[in-house]
Amino acid sequence: MAVFNLKKREIECKIVYYGPGRCGKTTNLEYIFKAYKKQVEGEMVSINTEGDRTLFFDFLPMELGKIKGCDVRVQLFTVPGQVQYSSTRKLVLRGVDGVVFVADSLEVRREKNMLSLKDLQQNLKDYGLNIFKIPMILQYNKRDLADEGMPIMPIEKMEKDLNRQLKVPSFPGSAVKGEGVGVTLQECLKRTLHSLQKQFNWAQK
Amino acid sequence: MSKQIKSLLQQAELYRSQGLLGEAKKKYKLVEELIAGSDKLPNKQKLLNGLSKKMEALNRDVETIEKAPTTPEMSAHVNELIKKLFSFSSKDKDASSSALEGAIALAKFGQFEGALEEFEKLLNVKSQRLSAAKNILRCYLEMGNIETATEKLEKWQKGDLLVSEQIEKLTVFYDDILEKKGLKKEPVVEEASAETASQEEKFEEEQEFLDISAVAITFDSGPYKGEQVELDVSFQSGNVISLIISSKDEALIENLKVGVRLDDVHFYSPVAIFRGAGLVSAMTQIKSGPKKGDYSLDIKIESL
Repeated sequence: MAVFNLKKREIECKIVYYGPGRCGKTTNLEYIFKAYKKQVEGEMVSINTEGDRTLFFDFLPMELGKIKGCDVRVQLFTVPGQVQYSSTRKLVLRGVDGVVFVADSLEVRREKNMLSLKDLQQNLKDYGLNIFKIPMILQYNKRDLADEGMPIMPIEKMEKDLNRQLKVPSFPGSAVKGEGVGVTLQECLKRTLHSLQKQFNWAQK
Repeated sequence: MSKQIKSLLQQAELYRSQGLLGEAKKKYKLVEELIAGSDKLPNKQKLLNGLSKKMEALNRDVETIEKAPTTPEMSAHVNELIKKLFSFSSKDKDASSSALEGAIALAKFGQFEGALEEFEKLLNVKSQRLSAAKNILRCYLEMGNIETATEKLEKWQKGDLLVSEQIEKLTVFYDDILEKKGLKKEPVVEEASAETASQEEKFEEEQEFLDISAVAITFDSGPYKGEQVELDVSFQSGNVISLIISSKDEALIENLKVGVRLDDVHFYSPVAIFRGAGLVSAMTQIKSGPKKGDYSLDIKIESL
C-alpha cells in the first residue's frame, strides 16, 4: 500500500514485477538500475540462489523527483518465479500498487505464463485486490530470441492467451538488450500514480 | 537429418543458457532418439558420446540447483532490509507492531536466528508478549528443534512472564502445531530431524480463535441473576459466535440485549474450557425455516 505523507508532500509506492521463472524480471530491474542511474536511490539488492534464480526478491528503490508538487518515490520488486517459492512470492506482493507482468515469449513457456498469471490473480485476490482493477502492464519479453532461430510466440497469440480479458497495455521487450524496459516501467508508473491520485488526491492542480 | 539435429542442439543450448534446464533436457532427449534411430549417420557413436557428456553436464546443473539451500542465512544488512520492507505498520505510530511484523517477515524468509532475536526482544513488550512467544515456539519447530521449543514452553509455564490465560493459549497453540506436524511433545530426535522446515507454514500474525462449540453464561443482573445458562454455538466467524435463543425464553432475551457485556462466560472448545468475556453484538429474529420466530444472537468474544 502506498504511503502518502501529506505534511511533507511525499508519496511512496510499490511496483512488483511478476511472471514465471526465468522470464526476465531480474534482467528488467538490472537494466533499469544501469539506465536510470539518476533516479535510482541507493543500490539494487538481489537475493539469488544457484543458477542466478531469484530466491527471495530483488529490490530497487527509485526517486522520481517532484511530480505535480509531490516527491515521488518508487520501490521496484521482483518475485521469485519458481513454483516452489509461492509463500515468498505472496509475501513480496503484499502492499503492491502496480504490477508489471513479464511473460516469456518462448513457445515452450506458454503454459508457464498462463499459470503464473493465474497465480498472480489468486495472490492478489487473497489480499483483497482485483487483477482487473490494479494498475497493470504486460511485457512480452525475449523477442530478440527469434533472431537466433528460437521458436517464439507471435504477439497476437500472447495477447489472446494473456490479455484477452485483462485488456491492459502490453509491450514487446528484450530486457537483455534494454528494449521495451523503459516504456513498460513508464506506463506502469503512469497508471499507478493515476490510480493513487484517485485514492489520495495527492497531485496539486 | 543432420540439419534437424543441429537445430535441436542449438535450441537445447539456448534453453540451457536461459536457465530453462527442463526444456533443454527434452531437446537433448529428442536428439538422442533421432541419432539412435538412424542407420545413415556415419559417426553415430561419436555423436551419442558427445551428447551423453552434454546431458551429464546438464544433470549436474540440475542437481546443483536442487541441492542449493532454499533458506540460506542472509547478511545482517539483508535482514535489516527485510524487516524494513515487510513491516507494514507505521514505525512512528506503533513501533512494537512494526517490529513484530518485521520479525515475522524474517521467519517467513527462513531467517530463524534473526527472527528469534527479534521475538526475544518483543517478549519484553506486554502487548506483543503472547504473539512473540507463539512465534518463538514456531521458529524452533521450523528449525527442527522440538527440544528447545518444549523447554521454552515449560520455562514460561513455570515462570511469571505470561499470565495464566496466556499460558493456556500458548499451550493449546503449541499442542495444535505438534499435532498438525505429527510430532510428539517428548523430544524424539529422529522425528524432529525428519521434519523438514516448510516455508508454507503460517507464522502467527494475529490471535487465533479456537472453535467454540458451546458457552455457559453466568449473569450478574436481570431475571437470571446468579444463574449459569448453557447454550450451543450454531455458527462462528472469527471472534464472533452465534447462538439460537428460543422465542419462549423471554427472560433470557431480556437479559441478552445488544450492548450487554458478559463478564463471566465459559467457552467450550474441543480442547479445553476457557473462561472469558463477551459482548452481545447483535440479535435478530429468524424469519423463516424450522427456527422461525426464535432469535439469533451474536456474541463478540472480548477475551479468552
